[in-house]
Amino acid sequence: MSALDQPQVESFLDGFLKKVRPRLKTLFAHYRIPPQDTEDLLQQALLALIYHREGIRDPEAWLLGTLRNKCLLYWREQRRRLYDSVDATVLEFMADPLEPAQESADLRRDLANALERLPERCRSLLALRYRQGYDPSEVAERLGYSPASISKITTRCLAVLTRHLVTSGSYKKKVGT
Amino acid sequence: MTTPHPAPEALEGFVLGRLSPVEMRDVARHLVAGCPRCQDVTAGLWEPADVFEDPQTLALADEEADIRDGYDEVLDRVFERIVATEARVADQRSLGRRLYDELMRCPAERRQLLLSNSLRFRNRMLCERLIEESYESFFEDPRRAAEVARLAVLLADRLEAGNCDGEEELAGLRVRAWAHLGNALRIHADLGGAEQAFAMTESLLSGSRVPLIEKARVLSFLGSGHLAQRRFAEALQSFDRSATIYKKLGQWNLLGRTLLQKSLVCGEVGDDEGEMRFLRRALDLIDPQADPRVFLAARHNLIHALYERGRVREAFALLYHTRPLYLKAGDRMNLLKLRWLEGLVALGMQRTDQAEAAFREIREAFVELDLGYDAALASLDLASVYILQGRSADVSRVAEETLAIFQAHNTHCEALAALLVFSSAARFERAGIDLVREVSSFLKRARNNPDLRFSSPS
Repeated sequence: MSALDQPQVESFLDGFLKKVRPRLKTLFAHYRIPPQDTEDLLQQALLALIYHREGIRDPEAWLLGTLRNKCLLYWREQRRRLYDSVDATVLEFMADPLEPAQESADLRRDLANALERLPERCRSLLALRYRQGYDPSEVAERLGYSPASISKITTRCLAVLTRHLVTSGSYKKKVGT
Repeated sequence: MTTPHPAPEALEGFVLGRLSPVEMRDVARHLVAGCPRCQDVTAGLWEPADVFEDPQTLALADEEADIRDGYDEVLDRVFERIVATEARVADQRSLGRRLYDELMRCPAERRQLLLSNSLRFRNRMLCERLIEESYESFFEDPRRAAEVARLAVLLADRLEAGNCDGEEELAGLRVRAWAHLGNALRIHADLGGAEQAFAMTESLLSGSRVPLIEKARVLSFLGSGHLAQRRFAEALQSFDRSATIYKKLGQWNLLGRTLLQKSLVCGEVGDDEGEMRFLRRALDLIDPQADPRVFLAARHNLIHALYERGRVREAFALLYHTRPLYLKAGDRMNLLKLRWLEGLVALGMQRTDQAEAAFREIREAFVELDLGYDAALASLDLASVYILQGRSADVSRVAEETLAIFQAHNTHCEALAALLVFSSAARFERAGIDLVREVSSFLKRARNNPDLRFSSPS
């Protein structure tokens, strides 16, 4: 790049950022990314745009496509963290010897109700995990899954359980109305 | 319900997985009991994520303008930083070019030493420049492309996240350097080396998060590698994954490139219709002004496909219109490809003198470029001309020369066996056009398939 190119590049960037600004805001709002988490996603994407600019024909489409993907990955990561938390929480509930008897009974009943609403496959897997304390390899053996796939299947079932915990009341209400 | 309702912030923190373990536990306990009021709140936080998979509609209602305005502060901050970074990247880019020039002025053995030991050369833009240069050399000088890609790999493996604005960019650079090395070795017919480089590329790609555009590019190279190894299903899978990413990113010209690569797979598996369809779609998407080389490659393949299917007149007409593009590209490999195609089309139209001149020229050029396999294939085309002209002595001479060229450059036993059969038949004046076609076709297939066995015709 010659010295003469430099101001052109800067003006491209200024103009480009001005142009995409409203679309970026709409995109982040659509994906409900908390503003404080937007900073890293946007900075990474714009840095990549600067570095790869010469190989990118349509920078706007590229930036929006890249950010959509980053938003999806952001939520996937958040969800994975949530599933892990729900799993750890339920395991802790079930193992907690200090829980008063009545509370413990209530909890077991509520959990049983929650599991009851899940698909059969997840119900069996999570029942073995939570009620009988089996570890993943034992669950795999009992249910006939390969040890390699049990982690993925468990995550899927935790996703179903979490979704149920987080949304079932809302769905019930919608169905009722 | 025995537990108190968590605050809305706590519910949001729960969905985002951001609370402390104790807080997570309290909210989970509450939700397990099935509180409809709180689930109403959490469902509102959850639902948008469920429709993420359909990013086509990004329109928001006007009343959501407040939500959008919440991003202004962040955008201002990031934009300011990025504009400042752009100037820094431009400086780095010119430094990378200077380092590249300095590096390439050194003898080959010193280049590796410098990249391994000198901190001054630990520069991301130098690595980018090496990758670019390797890519540029693919067409002109495949051996040089491989040498330069090796330097890029050497450097990329020594760079750190701090040199590249983060882990993701570094991972992307590394995986791209390895993919370029694999591709350069593939083009230079070092299939063993290419396989190792591609295996490394795959391992890096699966073990780290890389920018999406890098992933798509690398998947394209991997697809070419699989194609060279005749692993057609894997090649198609890699090209499809790459195409999906390019569609997502709205990079239509790059999608065109990928379709061009898919057409190659169709050609290999004998799906003539698919080959033509993908070639035509690729030609619709590739911008001839912005990407003349790839556009030319697609046209070249289309002309070749037409010739192979016996549609010589159409091939001739398209070649006539495409010739200016070859001349404009001007690099040696493209000019050789043009000459070869001219020879084939001339042969198809029974213009044997023109065909002979073309095949002789390209054979000599391939020998000079150390591309023995291509030289052998060109020799077989030359032999076809002599057979059609009834010049048995020339057929025999070309057969001997071909054998000598091939033995000097290749260790492919079965291809050698095929050439021996041809040479021996030529010596006894029994080499017909069918035998030449059979041997030529075997050599093309065996090029990327060392396990292929040649069965001598009766």
